[in-house]
Formats: sequence, C-alpha cells, structure tokens
Amino acid sequence: MAQATAAGRNATLPAGRARKGLAVLRAEWTKVRTVPETGWLVAAIAVLTVAVSTAVIATARCAAGTGCTADTTKLSLTGVLAGQAVVAMLAVLAISSEYSTGMIRTTFTAMPRRFGVLAAKATVLTGLVLPAAIIAVAGSLLAGREMMPGNGFTAAHGFPLLSLAHGPTLRAAVGSVLYLALVGLLCFGVTVIVRDSAAAIGTVLGLIYLPPIVALFVSSPVWQRRIERYAPTSAGMTVQNTTGMSHLPIGPWGGLAVLAIWAAAALIAGGLVLRLRDA
Amino acid sequence: MEATIEVAGLHKRFGSTVALDGMSFVVQPGKVTGFVGPNGAGKSTTMRVILGLDTPDQGTALVDGQPYAKLRRPLSHIGALLDAGALQPGRSARNHLLWLAHSQGMTVQRVDEVIEQAGLGTAARRKAGGYSLGMRQRLGIAAAMLGDPPILMLDEPFNGLDPEGIVWARAFLRSLAAQGRAVLVSSHLMSELQDTADHLVVTGRGRVIADTSVAELIAAASGDRVTLRTRERSQAMTVLAQAGGTVATTDRDTLSVGGLPAERVVTLLTEAGVPFAEVSAHRASLEEAYMEMTRDAVEFRAQPVQEATP
Repeated sequence: MAQATAAGRNATLPAGRARKGLAVLRAEWTKVRTVPETGWLVAAIAVLTVAVSTAVIATARCAAGTGCTADTTKLSLTGVLAGQAVVAMLAVLAISSEYSTGMIRTTFTAMPRRFGVLAAKATVLTGLVLPAAIIAVAGSLLAGREMMPGNGFTAAHGFPLLSLAHGPTLRAAVGSVLYLALVGLLCFGVTVIVRDSAAAIGTVLGLIYLPPIVALFVSSPVWQRRIERYAPTSAGMTVQNTTGMSHLPIGPWGGLAVLAIWAAAALIAGGLVLRLRDA
Repeated sequence: MEATIEVAGLHKRFGSTVALDGMSFVVQPGKVTGFVGPNGAGKSTTMRVILGLDTPDQGTALVDGQPYAKLRRPLSHIGALLDAGALQPGRSARNHLLWLAHSQGMTVQRVDEVIEQAGLGTAARRKAGGYSLGMRQRLGIAAAMLGDPPILMLDEPFNGLDPEGIVWARAFLRSLAAQGRAVLVSSHLMSELQDTADHLVVTGRGRVIADTSVAELIAAASGDRVTLRTRERSQAMTVLAQAGGTVATTDRDTLSVGGLPAERVVTLLTEAGVPFAEVSAHRASLEEAYMEMTRDAVEFRAQPVQEATP
C-alpha cells in the first residue's frame, strides 16, 4: 500500500513539476507581453542593428587596384555592436523593473521557487532576443550583399557576394545571433545581482563596452591579448571573423564559448544570490 | 483541518536592529484578526516571513500547516496584499491579474470574477500606473482573492480608501471571516479594527504584547473607572477621595474616578449634596486600550504571552 502510494507519487511528480514549470513560464510570458516597452525594445534591436550596419556598409570603399583586405561579412555585421546595447536594456528591465516597483515580492509570493522564476525569465528573454537577432543579422547581411559590390567589393577584387552558403559567413551569422542572446543572458544575470535599474544599466554597459576600449589603449601586448581573449564581448565578437583567422586572439567558437561561460557564471551567481537574499 | 497561519518564535535581525524577537501567534479561521503595533514593531517583517520572502534567523511560520515554500499553487492557500503600489505602471489591472492567474494554472474567467468582486469594473482595462491608491488597494484585494484562498493576509488594506471604500472593505473582510476564512489584517488605525476585528494580536518591538479578543482588551483597559461631570469639581474630589476612590481630573468639569462603582459614586455625591450632571461607567475605545498597552510595553511584556500551540 505504502509502496503503491510512493510509486504513484513518483509517477506524478515529474509531470506535476513540468506543469508547474510551464505555468511559471506562461506567467512570465504574460508579464512581458503586457507592457508596451517590450515590443519597442525588441523592434529596436533589429532596427538599430540593421541601421548601423547599413551606415557602415555605405561608407566602406574598395578602390580599384589597392588590394583591400576587408572582412566584408564582419563589416556588414558591425551593427551588432550597437544592437547589443538594446539587448542589454531589455535584459536589465526584465527584472530591475520588478525590483524598482516592488512587484518582485508579488512574483515570489505567487511563484516561491526562485530558481524556477529565474529560469523562466531567462527563457522568455532569450525567446524575445533570438527572433529580433535573426532579423537584425539577416537584414545586415542582406544590406551587405546588396551594397558591397557597388562600393568596389566585387568578385573581381576577390569579394564574392555575401552568402550563407559560404561556411565562414554562415558561422558569423549564426554566431552573431547567439552572441546577442548570450549578451542578454549575461546582462540579465548581472542585473539579478545588482537589482537597481540605473546601477545595472551602468554595470552591463561597462562590461560590454569598456574592455574593447581599454584593450585599444593598453600598452602591454600581453594584457591586450588577455583582454581580447577573456573579456566577454571582445572574445564573443571573434565569431564574426571570416578572414585572417590565424591572427585572431581566440578561435571564433572559442570566443563565443568564453561569452557563454560569462553568461552562465552571471546566471548561477544571480540564482544563488536570489535564493539567499531576502526579497 | 481548518486553515491557519501559525507563527512560532520568529527571530530576525537586520544588522544591529532586532526586527523580530520571538514573534508567536496563531490566526484562527472564521475570524478577522487585527495585527496592530507601532511602526517598527515587526508587523511587515512577520508578514514577509510568512510568505517566504524573508528568511527568519530562528523560528517557523506555517501557512495551512506547511512552510510557504512547500505550498503548491500558493495563492490557493493564502491571498496576500503587502504593498498595493507594487505594480508595473504600464500594465493594466486585468493583465496584472492575468499573469498571476497563469502562474497558478488558472484561467481568464477567474480574473474577470475577481475584477467584478473587487468592484474594479471597466477601470481594469486601464493602465495601473494611473490608478489612485484606493483603486490599487481594490486591485490588491482582487489579486489576493484570485485563488479563492481559505486564508487572507492584508497589510494596511484601508490605506487610501475613500469612506465608501472603507465601508466596502470592512464589510468584505467581515464576509470573508463569516465564510470561515482566516483573515489577518494589519492596521495602524485602531478605530477601523474596532468595527472589523474579532481578535487582536498587539505587537511591540518584534514580539507579541497581547493576544486577545477585542471585547476582552477593551474591558481590561476600561478597568472600573467611572466618568463624572460636575461643576463642583473640588468638592466632589474631596467626597470621593474620602470614600477611598482615586480621582483624576480629565477636563475642566470632568473627573475620572477609580475604585468606586458608579452607583456608589451617585450615592456619595447625593448624600454630600454635590451637584453633578452625569455619571457613566467608562468604556475605553480600542484606541485608548491600545495606547495604554503600547505606552508601557515593558509592563505588558512581563505578562505571559500566548504561545503558538505546536
């Protein structure tokens, strides 16, 4: 009898957990889709990325006979550097807006399993960033494909049309989409720890943009290389490279893995802090 | 088993500040229990501990016999309103209730029911950021009712309500208790609880000062005092003091007499020929009883405090 009950409980437990997990996910999805900011920010990720990429492409030139060495794929994806700022804002708002209003207490009252809430929020965030990133990257590459030949980057000069059939370009495209999603998770994890909107925005923008700038001005080549290898965005952006691979400080997927480790570390630290701290 | 909140021996410090110092009480079903005490007495901290938001250094809080974190679909066990302003301003009230409903596996029908019940009506589709405090309180009460819980816990629910809203909230809380639910209501306005609460948990400095029914508390605070109105104040004082009463002046023509029943006061004054306008047994208001109690918290702390039954 007791055995039967225990078996019955074991049988229903995973199903119950799954249903509960889905309820938490659904609640978090309902939250994001019922505030106007979400739509604007998601659209802004795509629009800003494509706009900046297009501007960079429009100003790129390859004069005849000069033997230009540009990485047209990477150049066409420059807008990702701007789009990531909007991803960061979306990620910060995903939780800081609950801390600033005090709604986080309602959230944890309704859903006491804090890891579950964290996982659901991260999933919803990724679900918002991914489609926006796909549109952003596709739009940027399309602009490059249309405009690059007119600027001198022709097949005759050794620049075939940008195409996803080209392995390294496909890697750069998929990598850039993943890059934006990982930047979102990193910023989200940091915000869980920092909580305050203004402090979080400052921290994540610093984390994203400062290391590449510092790397430019560091006089020690050893330290410059270290920053390029281990800073989250410096390493992550290497995934966009399609030429000069032997000179990269870290391989393209390796660089993206560094960013992924940063994101995972931020999420784990955020989860622990969330669990230990009073809400 | 009937649903209750059981709080036993809660201790909590924030740095050097002792927020909770052995807080213990039980909230009974079918009653409105008033949770009162001066600011910093630990009421809000206790409520946060009950909801699993804050972790106590020591002690336990059980909701429906379980720690909050163990509750499945917690909103079906307890509905709580801590801070009516804790809303994201860009979301409508209806959508706020909708995400809460989805978190409990509930549907939109239930959302529309509680909107109706709380009297939010068509305003529910407007952005919550534009709500008055009274509207937010109604939304908070709607959210607390979402899971049709046997236990309700409301922090200062009367705050910001207009007179009509207060009458509504009072009747609503009474009806919830009449349905057999356990209702815990904190308030700093004792006059509101006088007409609403059946039972009182009075707190001070992180622990329970008194755990008693409203009627008992008023009776205890009223003592045997008699209020007397007379123009011949000094004459009356002399007569009553000689008869063994303790007399205090409360107003220009009003005396408060202790140690003598009202009939004896009338007899004494009549025999001595002292004119008087009114003699009445003094009935303390809840506010007075509360003031008397919290004024001398130390004295009351020496009295045995009702412990939660294990």
